[in-house]
Amino acid sequence: MLTPLLLIPAVGAIALACWSGCSAQRARSLALATAGTTLLWTVWLFTQFDLTDPGFQMREFLPWIPQLGLNYDLGLDGLSLLMVALNSLLTWIALWSSPTTLDRPRLFYSLMLLVSAGVAGAFLAQNLLLFFLLYEVELVPLYLLVAIWGGEKKTYAATKFLLYTALSGALMLAGFLATVLLTDGLDFRYMTAMGQTLPLVAQTILLGCLVVAFGIKIPLVPFHTWLPDTYVAASTPVAMILGGVLAKLGTYGLFRFGLGMFPDAWALLAPYLAVWAAGGVLYGAVTAIAQKDIKRMVAYSSIGHMGYVLLGGAALTDLALTGAVTQMVSHGLILAILFHLVGLVEAKVGTRELDVLNGLMNPIRGLPMTSALLVLGGMASAGIPGLMGFVTEFLVFQGSYATYPIPTLLAVTGTGLTAVYFIILLNRTCFGRLDNAIAYFPKVSFTEQFPALILATLILFLGIQPNWLVKWGEPTASSMVALLLPRSVEVIAGDRAPTSPVALETPADLSHKALPIAVAGLKSLP
Amino acid sequence: MTLAEGVQLVSFGLLAAMMIAAALGVVLLSNIVYSAFLLGIVFVSISGMYVLLNAGFVAAAQILIYVGAVNVLILFGIMLVNKREDFAPVRRAWLGKVATGAVCLGLFALLSTMVLGTPWALSSEAAIGDGATVMIGLHFFSDFLLPFELASVLLLIALVGAIILARREFIPDEMPQDTVGDALKLPERPRELVPASRDGAES
Amino acid sequence: MDFSALAAQLNAGAILPEGIVIITLITVLVGDLIGGRASSRWTPYLAIAGLFAAIVALVYQWDTANPIAFLGGFNSDALSVVFRGIIVLSAMITVPMSIRYVEQSGTSLAEFIVILMTATLGGMVLSGADELVTIFVALETLSISSYLLTGYMKRDPRSNEAALKYLLIGAASSAIFLYGVSLLYGLSGGQTRLSAIAAQLAADSSDAPIGLVVALVFVIAGIAFKIAAVPFHQWTPDVYEGSPTPVVAFLSVGSKAAGFALAIRLLVSVFPLVSEQWHFVFTALAILSMVLGNVVALAQTSMKRLLAYSSIAQAGFVMIGLIVGTEAGYASMVFYLLVYLFMNLGGFTCVILFSLRTGTDQISEYSGLYQKDPLLTLGLSICLLSLGGIPPLAGFFGKLYIFWAGWQAGAYGLVLVGLITSVISIYYYIRVIKMMVVKEPQEMSDSVKNYPPMRWNLPGMRPLQVSLVVALVATSLAGILSNPLFTLANDSITHTPLLKAAIAEQAAAMVSHTETVETIAIAPQ
Repeated sequence: MLTPLLLIPAVGAIALACWSGCSAQRARSLALATAGTTLLWTVWLFTQFDLTDPGFQMREFLPWIPQLGLNYDLGLDGLSLLMVALNSLLTWIALWSSPTTLDRPRLFYSLMLLVSAGVAGAFLAQNLLLFFLLYEVELVPLYLLVAIWGGEKKTYAATKFLLYTALSGALMLAGFLATVLLTDGLDFRYMTAMGQTLPLVAQTILLGCLVVAFGIKIPLVPFHTWLPDTYVAASTPVAMILGGVLAKLGTYGLFRFGLGMFPDAWALLAPYLAVWAAGGVLYGAVTAIAQKDIKRMVAYSSIGHMGYVLLGGAALTDLALTGAVTQMVSHGLILAILFHLVGLVEAKVGTRELDVLNGLMNPIRGLPMTSALLVLGGMASAGIPGLMGFVTEFLVFQGSYATYPIPTLLAVTGTGLTAVYFIILLNRTCFGRLDNAIAYFPKVSFTEQFPALILATLILFLGIQPNWLVKWGEPTASSMVALLLPRSVEVIAGDRAPTSPVALETPADLSHKALPIAVAGLKSLP
Repeated sequence: MTLAEGVQLVSFGLLAAMMIAAALGVVLLSNIVYSAFLLGIVFVSISGMYVLLNAGFVAAAQILIYVGAVNVLILFGIMLVNKREDFAPVRRAWLGKVATGAVCLGLFALLSTMVLGTPWALSSEAAIGDGATVMIGLHFFSDFLLPFELASVLLLIALVGAIILARREFIPDEMPQDTVGDALKLPERPRELVPASRDGAES
Repeated sequence: MDFSALAAQLNAGAILPEGIVIITLITVLVGDLIGGRASSRWTPYLAIAGLFAAIVALVYQWDTANPIAFLGGFNSDALSVVFRGIIVLSAMITVPMSIRYVEQSGTSLAEFIVILMTATLGGMVLSGADELVTIFVALETLSISSYLLTGYMKRDPRSNEAALKYLLIGAASSAIFLYGVSLLYGLSGGQTRLSAIAAQLAADSSDAPIGLVVALVFVIAGIAFKIAAVPFHQWTPDVYEGSPTPVVAFLSVGSKAAGFALAIRLLVSVFPLVSEQWHFVFTALAILSMVLGNVVALAQTSMKRLLAYSSIAQAGFVMIGLIVGTEAGYASMVFYLLVYLFMNLGGFTCVILFSLRTGTDQISEYSGLYQKDPLLTLGLSICLLSLGGIPPLAGFFGKLYIFWAGWQAGAYGLVLVGLITSVISIYYYIRVIKMMVVKEPQEMSDSVKNYPPMRWNLPGMRPLQVSLVVALVATSLAGILSNPLFTLANDSITHTPLLKAAIAEQAAAMVSHTETVETIAIAPQ
């Protein structure tokens, strides 16, 4: 049931690569059909998914290289389901939004599908080595996607991306090998690795290794320098996939492996992670304000928003973790719509400079529809109530305030700053007087607008009816926190009990109190 | 000390002195013809050592092969080439010489320490003396059969290789026209050499 | 001595594959003498058939009841079978890719093949040799043939320079190796068989005499020269650049595999007394090779030099398996060499193809190649990515296995160096791919602009294509379908009595070591 998620795009990619006489139009149709089939399959998976079971469902197992402990082992839980859905949806949308006049279309579509297959596999992998393998598979296709079809400084950006990601892969492999072989096992199954009992020091070191490895991918602040270059240099569809899906691979890995395998160490490091996350949020927001290029601004906004995800993961409450999981989805959708619209603006107006853009809202000569959607996207990203961004951020803050009030407050400030730079962006681009002398923009066709419309509908709809999103992630998040809580209390108790007995109660009790209230509040929102 | 032992000792000393002096001459003399002849003396003294060790067959082989073939070949080579070339004196050549000398001395010291400090497992069997040829033959056709046969292939291929390197090539006519000029060269063109210094660029 | 009894004792059937190679090479030589130039139409195919027959014979030798041949001079155990297989296979892929190359340079093909097969023969005997004289003669057979091959294009000064350099450095290293071997002969009181030497050394003393250490150092110098480990690598880039490319392909795979076979057999069987020392030396060699090979490769502009440094680095990775000395360690070496064979030879095939069509091997000249020659671009990209260890290609699994084995045995430092340097290596491999794939049509280099249309029907091109496709398919699929290869690699280790004993000994040493550590740790309390 899960293999088609890998198989359909992979077969499509190979078919496209081998079919030499294929026209650009036909390649596009074939790619869209492949991605569409995958999307339909994902929808069907939603109908088959058993909400009452917080564990892994639809397991698939095939021995591959038993000597290494590497097996083809897939499974699906709420977290994976949401991520896979995000991947399938954004792949289809990115393929749709790729320009029809593309150089070497077969290679482009084939690489995009390859990335999609690899990422889907990574989200489903239940074997550490399989995860690593699929994580590395998308490396070269993405490098080529950025390096061939990118904008200026594309090879520099692509190489930087490649080296950072390869380094992250190397660190991750070291972490995985150490985890499994330290326990004297030869079993790279995720479930086995979850059950290991390593001393806390070893766990902390290994977790640190994984945090850096995935932190490069997310990216967390000192490791983020590849991000603005790569996002800006990448073409619109590639940027959508990079920011919308690939970055989630980092947070997914962090939660799945960091939190899942080393709950003790996670509980120990969580306060620092929360501070780190808040720092990332503020850094992303402040740097975004200083940007003059709207694409770069959106890229930096991504750093800030991934900070919320980390904050939610660090908070050790199931509300916050649910928030983090849903924030991953909402950030993916919002970033995708923003990149799409920015790409559209660039394609039509010919520039991304804030100082040049002006008055696009003009109903006659501007790009009114695009601007309207851009306003919507900006609002969603800034967390305006009624849109998807608000719901997920609210969940994160609500859940983490109990544990880490100060980092949460800092992150809330970050949301305020997000609003500031989006107002700057929208004010400069959409409003103001359009210079009639230069405003001869080509019309935006419906086909070009279509992906943004779908995304906007989703953002709006899930903002009004968040339960449809939350319910998929909630059981998994709860089970993860349940894994975490008893141990974390132990660790924190052992660590701090003599000095501050209050800390004992905070995470466990408050979160349990907070959850029903918050969920009830959410349900009454519309 | 019996007379025989005394004779042995004296001849060992003589041979050793001769060998070392000749070997030093090979390395230090600048005239290469002298070096070649001195090399012959080195080989002869080694053969004398073998005689002292009661290994007559090896001694004979040493003279036949090394003096009779190898050394003569070297002399032929030197005399056929017979090219005089004056080398520009290298500045501070003494530095290199001193360094080489130091390294060699160090190596010599290390090896002599090793030779003296190691408990050698000496074979208790008596030297076979004149029966050596029979024994060598037996070994060649039993446990050393494989290297013996492999050496024949090696010699064959060395022969073939020497002929290939030495023969005058004819450039066949059936080759396509454009490759004739480059025949017998690597298909890759040599790359343009970048001048090593500015002087090179100007001249 | 009774002749028939002697013949039975010799067990000459063990060298049947070598016999087939010898017969083939003599047939080629004589056939070329009789047939003249026209014989070049069939000699390469005869050679390939002979090498294939040798592989078949090797398959039948797998797991023979009586592997010892020539009264202990030759050992046809599983380890030697697998290494001989690697060497023959590398020659078998090298022959088809050299046909066109040699023809185009106007030299005679038959002699080239004969010398190549002699080198193969030397490598094969070296992999199985269990006795000092055989080892040395086999080593010289391999070396002298390699010198001849290197200088085969004698009108080209680069080829001459390469041959001379290789000859001088190689002869020096052979001499040092011979000195070390002679010390072993002396230390053991006149034994030449490796097992007898080991037994004698172990019986004589429990702690290693200084002579053994000196012998070890000299022997390692000889081996490290063959596998081109830093700092014994200086010949590699120049020789690789100046030699005919098919020769380089063989040297980088076949000759290296023979060196590793020699290393395993000699070090494991003769030097257990100084095992700490040789592990230490090899650790240093491995780290230096990985770091220097990968870092210097970054700065190369010529494809052959790039592959030279990359092969140095790859040898460093393989050495990890040797150092850890566990079953998985040796098996990972064998596995890595098997996949390295295909990916490296595939890469060289592409380099040959490109240089045949454009006459250059500069990396910058590859730019924009995808438009003119998609097959070549695909082939070279896949082989280079596999060398860089990108999944799902074969090289990824090879590296994974080596790192896994290394980590399992506790060689954390080595594995980390390997991981970091393989990240570096991805950079220079991708640089070539960037040149070929990413460059815009207007950035195309002159040689690619003048790229002649592909004519596979020229004499010698078809085999080149075949060997390219074989290497390509093997590189892409050997990883995904690697289970049989894994089994083969593991079996070759478990079926080798020599290694089994060594592994058991090391495991015992490890246990006692941890026990001593534990007692020391407990003692203060």
